[in-house]
Amino acid sequence: MSTTATEGTTARKWLLSYPTLMLGVFFVGPFGIMLAVSFFQRVESAFYKPAFVFSNYARLFSSLFLDNLAFSLYLGMLVAVISVSVAFPFTYLLSRMRMRTQTIWLVFLLSVLSLSEVIIAFSWSILLSRTAGVSNLLVWLGLMDHPVGLAPGFTAEVLGYCYLTLPYTVLMLYPSMSRLDPELTEAARTLGASPQRAFFNVVIPAMRQPIVASLILVFVFTLGVYLIPQILGNPEHWTLSVLITDQAVYQSNVPFAAALAVFLLLTSLALILLTFVLGARERIHTAS
Amino acid sequence: MSDETKNGITRREFIGAGLAGAAMLSMPPILRAQNRTLKVGVYGGYFKDSFDKHIFPDFTKETGIEVQSVAEPTGEAWLVQLQNAARAGQAPADVSMMAQVPRLKGANAKLWAPLDAAKLDNRKYLLDNFVHTYDDGSISGLGAVSWYITLVTNTDTYPEPPESWAAFWDPANRDKLGLLALVSNSFLLEITAKTFFNGHDSLKSEDDILKVLDKLAEVKPNVRLWYRDEGQFQQALQSGEIPMGQYYHDVTGLAAADGFPVRSTFPKEGGVLDSGSWCVSKASNRLEEAHLFMNYMCRPDIQAKLARRVGTAPTVKREHLDLSDEEFAAVASDKPPILPYYQMYLDRGDWLSDRWTAMITG
Amino acid sequence: MNADSHDALTLQGVSRHFGDVAAVSEVDLTVPRGKLVCFLGPSGCGKTTLLRLIAGLDMPTGGRIEFAGRDVTALPAHKRNLGMVFQSLALFPHLSVAENIAYSLRIRGQDKAAQRQRAEELLDLVRLPGVGDRHVSQLSGGQRQRVAIARALALEPELFLLDEPLSALDAKLREEMQVELKLLQQRVGVTTILVTHDQREAMTMADMVVVMRDGEVQQIGTPLEVYRDPANAFVAEFIGTSNLLQGEVVDDTSVRVDGHVLQAARLPAGAAAGTAVTVSVRPEDVHLYAGDEDGPNRLSGTVAFVRDVGQSVELYVDCGGTRITSHVQPRDKPDVHQGQTVTVELPPEACVVLKR
Repeated sequence: MSTTATEGTTARKWLLSYPTLMLGVFFVGPFGIMLAVSFFQRVESAFYKPAFVFSNYARLFSSLFLDNLAFSLYLGMLVAVISVSVAFPFTYLLSRMRMRTQTIWLVFLLSVLSLSEVIIAFSWSILLSRTAGVSNLLVWLGLMDHPVGLAPGFTAEVLGYCYLTLPYTVLMLYPSMSRLDPELTEAARTLGASPQRAFFNVVIPAMRQPIVASLILVFVFTLGVYLIPQILGNPEHWTLSVLITDQAVYQSNVPFAAALAVFLLLTSLALILLTFVLGARERIHTAS
Repeated sequence: MSDETKNGITRREFIGAGLAGAAMLSMPPILRAQNRTLKVGVYGGYFKDSFDKHIFPDFTKETGIEVQSVAEPTGEAWLVQLQNAARAGQAPADVSMMAQVPRLKGANAKLWAPLDAAKLDNRKYLLDNFVHTYDDGSISGLGAVSWYITLVTNTDTYPEPPESWAAFWDPANRDKLGLLALVSNSFLLEITAKTFFNGHDSLKSEDDILKVLDKLAEVKPNVRLWYRDEGQFQQALQSGEIPMGQYYHDVTGLAAADGFPVRSTFPKEGGVLDSGSWCVSKASNRLEEAHLFMNYMCRPDIQAKLARRVGTAPTVKREHLDLSDEEFAAVASDKPPILPYYQMYLDRGDWLSDRWTAMITG
Repeated sequence: MNADSHDALTLQGVSRHFGDVAAVSEVDLTVPRGKLVCFLGPSGCGKTTLLRLIAGLDMPTGGRIEFAGRDVTALPAHKRNLGMVFQSLALFPHLSVAENIAYSLRIRGQDKAAQRQRAEELLDLVRLPGVGDRHVSQLSGGQRQRVAIARALALEPELFLLDEPLSALDAKLREEMQVELKLLQQRVGVTTILVTHDQREAMTMADMVVVMRDGEVQQIGTPLEVYRDPANAFVAEFIGTSNLLQGEVVDDTSVRVDGHVLQAARLPAGAAAGTAVTVSVRPEDVHLYAGDEDGPNRLSGTVAFVRDVGQSVELYVDCGGTRITSHVQPRDKPDVHQGQTVTVELPPEACVVLKR
């Protein structure tokens, strides 16, 4: 009897240690290594040697990297807002279609996910080019005088990002949206709200948590993208991830790349925590 | 006989599995003793494919040494990998083709095995700047291939070829240029210094370099694309989307031969001559085979074959080559080249990369 | 005709087709002001669809809908001045109880104080004072029910619609709420339509019952009319329990069932001799005697089973293959037991003859 209880406890311990183990192997371990390397001494004409120096962090406090960080965060937020703004109504309408139609769309979105960043970036650079792009179609339709090239450029970059993140956003919103009681909007309508108003003051507030979660996911996801800004953006629109790649791959300055990555991670973590704190405070405020 | 065949298959399967599973692991010594093999690192993609097809089989036929080619990433990632593996006493490749900056960094870290000059007799054919030595006179590497970066144009947009790199600064070419995005692979500082200043002499101090950077910053309004990916620019050049820029001489020639409206021009200041050299990891225990391989690669007939088949400029002096003028012009030029100032990247790589990034992103 | 003389709701030939399937077919209905009408039928009979057509949440494919004489057929839900309680209740999860109740006032731009005051009034009306600031998730099932009702009544709607509103409650609470809801409706005086599949609920609450099947109205009447005088075998069986006997018309006053000729008070008009009919007899109308006593409208049989549950007694009698159920009060219980030969009497006035 007591043996069984002990065995059960042991088994549970093992089961509980599994997530801890995975977290350790796939997150804490790599992050710890990166954190350690970010304090190593860079040897410019060769590699780096283990040390504990702050020079890598000191270097990133220059207008070059701070401005770049600010731009990266701004771009992440912009893309998150656009992506969720586009995906939300789409997902709402999708969740109200016939099951078969929904399945077809979801399979399509999943297949878009399989496209790599490179393919997306190249496809958009061709679509937005002067010689072969969509502007030629507009010229042919008589809507424009002469074709223009939009890639590389800020618009192209944002488009590329949104194309990359949209399927994730839709798939992220879809489960909660499909669980959303359709009678909620109907109730709002019987109470005198037009469908548009019901969408804004019932559907969106009721979906607040998934919306915030999607915004954060897209924001964080966007920070890690480094090929799209290179291919679709001008140099002034390169993100910190591009500079990290340059440092790691082309300058072989791994300590500095690690410092930049740690800095980017901590900044985005701080922003996410701030979001949660503000969200919690607002909820307390509403409840009181 | 049948046993041998069987063994052969088993061994190949073992190699295949080894490469697929853990490329970093070196082969067990017993297997190596029986078979003379050499792992050679070459840039992945076009270079590796060409060497596998045109160069390595003949080497094996002549020496009995089997070459296992390893695809290297470009940039300095391979250097980092070699360094980390060497710390563990392993060599992902015995011989690697290294760009000059990582080669110099590796030499400073004594990553390259010192080589025996007596076993590398064919080095006498090489241009002098392609024999790299340590301070004690031992050889740290030998020039493998070189290539030119030239001024390329779309012939539909530019019926007449430009004569000088100064065309990049011409206000008429606004929003028309595609330039390489990194200070360390575009060599635009050297180009600017040669075109408007006194070449390498104008890149000796930080103040001088900033002057050259300021001059270079003037081209920014003309630049449509700062590219890292070659394919992106080549596609845009061929379509005329971006009708002018800097690109690889031999690839442009091949595109022109395929009928695309592109041309490569050696400006009067010269094309940029960049190169790769063979270096041997100090963790390699196939030094004998490595010497044989490098000596073989320095032979004028092999360099000529590289020029014809792979499109690289020879690292051997012209007089030893049997290339026709036409064959030579396809890969190189007699005009004095602009040589990259590699030491500058070594001495102040971080400073330079920050200034460069600030310049182009500003 | 002045406006007050209009009925609250009039449906004329209202249909809703989904492709080839008619969910609602040619419904005509008039609901007088202030009455409570139950749409009653098994699931899939079209009662909810009909309610949604009235609410404007779905549009009819044919027919006309009038509210107090106004044609609202093409009017969307938010312009119809309704209150509706949904099956899921559909309380807004992001709003407090008071905010839920005052939602319709907010939509119409009334100020906060007015919203608050009305919410308090309604919470008093549904006997749930002082919970206005609570979150919806902090309420019990019955309390949420009341909040949903309060919300629907906030704007004094022309029509109060309820779609199986009590189905989520347990049996005891449901019975209580039926009574309370009916009393509330009488107090407020709002014209109400309630959809249910529970005939007991309909009998408890309705002034008028609309029995539906396969999208078609089977019978409209007061609960007692529908019970006493079902229009057809379906209604007879769906409302309460009934002995349904297959037979044929003999003449103007009698039918033949299983070889026996039964007198019936009323036969369907114009039913010729030989017409196949169903005779419906409510179990409580079946008389039972011990022994074999022949006579008019009497059948003899054997007691198959006696179910005595205290408040009533049910006796099952086999009469030559036909099973007849009789319900009696405990004090009227005849002294019979299982296997005994008995006589059942089906009084002529209890025999409702229905065309098949």
